[in-house]
Amino acid sequence: MTDVADPPVDVRDVAEIDMSVPAEGAYLSVLRTAAAGLAARLNFTLDDIEDLRIAVDEACSILLAQAIAGSRLTCAFHMTEDSVTVRASVRATSPRIPSRDGFSWTVLTALTSRVEFDIRSPDLLLIELSHQRPVVGLA
Amino acid sequence: MDLSLDTRAEGEHTVVSVAGEIDVYTAPKLREALLELVNAGKYHIVVDVERVEFLDSTGLGVLVGGLKRVRAHNGTLQVVCTQERLLKIFRITGLTKVFALHGSVAEAVAEN
Repeated sequence: MTDVADPPVDVRDVAEIDMSVPAEGAYLSVLRTAAAGLAARLNFTLDDIEDLRIAVDEACSILLAQAIAGSRLTCAFHMTEDSVTVRASVRATSPRIPSRDGFSWTVLTALTSRVEFDIRSPDLLLIELSHQRPVVGLA
Repeated sequence: MDLSLDTRAEGEHTVVSVAGEIDVYTAPKLREALLELVNAGKYHIVVDVERVEFLDSTGLGVLVGGLKRVRAHNGTLQVVCTQERLLKIFRITGLTKVFALHGSVAEAVAEN
């Protein structure tokens, strides 16, 4: 978080930022705020910043539904000059690919350029989403 | 940021003013408040989200749940919302066709 908060850091020099918070709903706001802060550094428009904030929230909320109590939610933000990719994961007892209907999935797919679930190991549920920076950047 | 709720009567309506962030963590508080109102026989509810800074699909689910409950009693659940970033979520999910969305509490309570 310190790296994110320091004004002199050029986000384009920071390839990857990893965060880990307790897998509890109370910490979603922390991840949302981080996502919005990073998008702002990429000169995303206010609308795109808000889209990413909501997308990260929805993605992590989906993961929390399956997270093992007392475990952690990890969230990696990978930034390039034109996009943010977020890879979030939790440990789950028997991970299942979440349902692709419902409000949550509808919102996620509407606000991201790409979103995918994956089960990487018998107890790891992962979601990866990307948000493209607008082609026409603002000054 | 937590969620704060203020409930008051406006004629036949009960207005719930919500402030803060509605997500997985805070939504149960709103769900509980709506449930209590319905259990108390308040079937015409106006949820004012003008001071809500964040709303996700969990919050929408709570509002839909509230709507189903009041409709079971021939009631209404109207939403006061003019914030574009919140309206966007209602639009994406198609809920602008489900909820009566109003620009002010006065407008909402005038409609019955």
